[in-house]
Amino acid sequence: MACCLCLLAQGCSKVSPWERGNLAREDMSINPNPNLNRFRDHIFTSKEASQGGHSGAGGGCGCN
Amino acid sequence: MKKSLLLAVILTLSSHAYATDQGQTVPSCQATLADTGAQLDFNAYKGKVVLVDFWATWCPPCKKSMPFLNSLRNEKQKDGFEIVAINVDENSDEAKQFLAANPVDYLMTFDPNGNCPGVFDVKAMPSSYLVDKTGTVRLVHLGFRDGDEATIQQHVEKLLAE
Repeated sequence: MACCLCLLAQGCSKVSPWERGNLAREDMSINPNPNLNRFRDHIFTSKEASQGGHSGAGGGCGCN
Repeated sequence: MKKSLLLAVILTLSSHAYATDQGQTVPSCQATLADTGAQLDFNAYKGKVVLVDFWATWCPPCKKSMPFLNSLRNEKQKDGFEIVAINVDENSDEAKQFLAANPVDYLMTFDPNGNCPGVFDVKAMPSSYLVDKTGTVRLVHLGFRDGDEATIQQHVEKLLAE
């Protein structure tokens, strides 16, 4: 049990405030290309009408 | 099991026991001065009011604070005020490139190993420690937001008047 906990705990690490240089990189963000994703969502929402499921609005005309 | 839990709790809490706080003497730490390559020694600034500023190139508020800190330092230097900036970038060359494009007049040091922020137990970036003429930390300022300029200047002037 202790060994399993130790193995699992290897994924847990304290990152100090001054060690966040790599985490602060643009390509480390959850959404590295927000503009591209918004553009793709717009096309998807337009083509699929109400099946977007993201935050896109409109009824499929592609005009919004 | 109870002993292990107790040890874990002690180890967790022990990291906070050495945090540099108001009223404590400024701790010594290892950082390299940008101009001479010598080691940083806070004893050299006794008799002066010193602002120790931790910054990094990946930290936008740090970079935002630098023009203000530079003008404050140049304005108050004659009264015995100095700023010691400690850059904590893992790659100091990134900081050097930034400083070449955005030069500052105050003392710059590099600490790519994170020794100084570890000794001070820095809680946020940027963090500023205002040290009085006797070497005692009088203010710990976390972050840099609009309006912080007046607060920092007020504290500096107060310590310079002592």
